[in-house]
Amino acid sequence: MRLLPLHIRIRALLASLLGIAASVITASCQNLRGDEALSKILEEGEDWKLVASGYKFTDAACADAAGRFYFSDVSAGDGIHQVDLEGGVSTLVPNAPKLSGMKFGPDGRLYACAQSPKKQIVAFVLPAGTMTVLADDVQPNDLVVTKKGYVYFTETGKGQVTVITPQGVVRLAAKGITAPNGIGLSPDHGTLAVSEYTGSNVWAYRIDADGALSGGERYMQLQTPAGAARSEGDGMTVDADGRYYVTSALGIQMFDATGRLSGIISRPQAKGTVSCAFAGKDFAYLYACSSDKVFRRKLKVRGR
Amino acid sequence: MSIDTRTSWATDPERAATQNRNTEKPSHTMRHALLLFLLVRSLAQGADDYAPGPDSKPQPGVPQGVITHATWKSKIFPETTRDYWVYAPSQYEAGKPAAVMVFQDGKSYMDTNGSFRAPIVFDNLIHKKEMPVTIAIFINPGEVPAAAPDQKPRSNRSFEYDSLGNQYARFLLEEILPEVGKQYTLTQDPALRAICGISSGGICAWTVAWERPDQFSKVISHVGSFTNIRGGHVYPALIRKTERKAIRVHLQDGTRDLDNLFGNWPLANQEMAAALKFAGYDYKFELGDGGHNGKHGGAILPDALRWLWRETP
Repeated sequence: MRLLPLHIRIRALLASLLGIAASVITASCQNLRGDEALSKILEEGEDWKLVASGYKFTDAACADAAGRFYFSDVSAGDGIHQVDLEGGVSTLVPNAPKLSGMKFGPDGRLYACAQSPKKQIVAFVLPAGTMTVLADDVQPNDLVVTKKGYVYFTETGKGQVTVITPQGVVRLAAKGITAPNGIGLSPDHGTLAVSEYTGSNVWAYRIDADGALSGGERYMQLQTPAGAARSEGDGMTVDADGRYYVTSALGIQMFDATGRLSGIISRPQAKGTVSCAFAGKDFAYLYACSSDKVFRRKLKVRGR
Repeated sequence: MSIDTRTSWATDPERAATQNRNTEKPSHTMRHALLLFLLVRSLAQGADDYAPGPDSKPQPGVPQGVITHATWKSKIFPETTRDYWVYAPSQYEAGKPAAVMVFQDGKSYMDTNGSFRAPIVFDNLIHKKEMPVTIAIFINPGEVPAAAPDQKPRSNRSFEYDSLGNQYARFLLEEILPEVGKQYTLTQDPALRAICGISSGGICAWTVAWERPDQFSKVISHVGSFTNIRGGHVYPALIRKTERKAIRVHLQDGTRDLDNLFGNWPLANQEMAAALKFAGYDYKFELGDGGHNGKHGGAILPDALRWLWRETP
């Protein structure tokens, strides 16, 4: 090969260097550390998959320590349904009341919001189904149980969150929330989050040592459908890194731990999708109660 | 409240770069080689290589201000606590109202080894009468402290800085300025009140002035997050349609700034600049080639302050 004069070789080198520089600039798109794009959450090629169907209106998504998934049919009131790690669906406590929210407590019991025949907070010993009433004359919608045994539940009509202490005292914990509906706990159980159904906020509270809620703030803002004031914020879950997943009219809205809306996951079907929970092997699946059906999808993140 | 008197801001040893200059006229090939060398160097390290200038370094004979540290528990941001620091220049006279400038993420703006070195810049510019005698309030974002040692505090930075609305302005006006006002006499004149921040702190500075131009009329934004973190991407549209407010604003951004789920920072800042131009604002926009950091903003902070305070030294 004939060697080109030096200045021509230099020009060629300059041209290739400019090309490299241009590609470096193009590739400079970046995520600030801590920014949680949906691409960090969703598995490429994974979509919602049907888990169970044939119900009137599913709700009360939750998981036990082993990763088995539980839900109710809040319209039919036909018991507590369980999905095992192999995908088998069975019904526990077939004569249970209509339940709108369920979570396991540190004592292994399943705590739940009963809608009928009476509005109560109850706890079941599974699989026997023995039921204890913890609070009567309440209007519960959804609940959480902390590792210290405090039960917090939303009373949507009253615009408040109520707590049951480990000693069994029922008292007001927070008020002034627009139709509080879903409720969730940060992984360290230090922060309580509450979604608004007819509003558009998700409130965050600090859980004080005595179970009181303080520092309440409209920490997360739910996207609402165009022209609508109501987000239809409903049941929620939290992953191991502290991201919040809040069901709503527009989908499951995901917030990072600092309260920034970071993505909206499509609903499994264009029907009311009102609660979700991480369950399954390694808590790698997000389960969603969507009207007549239950779905799940595999995510990159883990629930616990 | 503790008082830190800055004992010394040692002058950084100036590196006297001695260069051997070839006085001979370079040959054709030599010129190309030199060109290649310069270009390679600029490609390798030219981007975002901003550095502080002399106004950002202690200068002989320039008196230094005093910084005091305090903490604050807020009611407007319930249960949050935060640190803040108040700088008073040596020219401050008790009882004589001083100009005010608030800095979000105050600790980083106050760091005299960081990108901004604001106390040094203030010392130098106030000494040269290129800006007024100004009390600086360097304030950190709040957090809700954890209730137990095994729990995490709740960061309130994004909520305070990225949210639209008047909550942060109220926090400054109803909590912080009255408190600092017990220590120093602060002006009530909005023309002598400025606010500055970086990233989310930048849009926060703009939001304070946008909400209360009757209280804060001067803004500096560094790599400001005029993106959809919490809806701040709407500002260019609002600026175009809203009757002009009495705000003077200096924006800085870089072509290598962020492009992520919240938006594209260089585009958002260009949208802001275009909207400010369209609406007839007193604004300046410096678009460099840097990334999401304070290097460029820090290097031009003295110029930005001179521009911001140009008729009020």
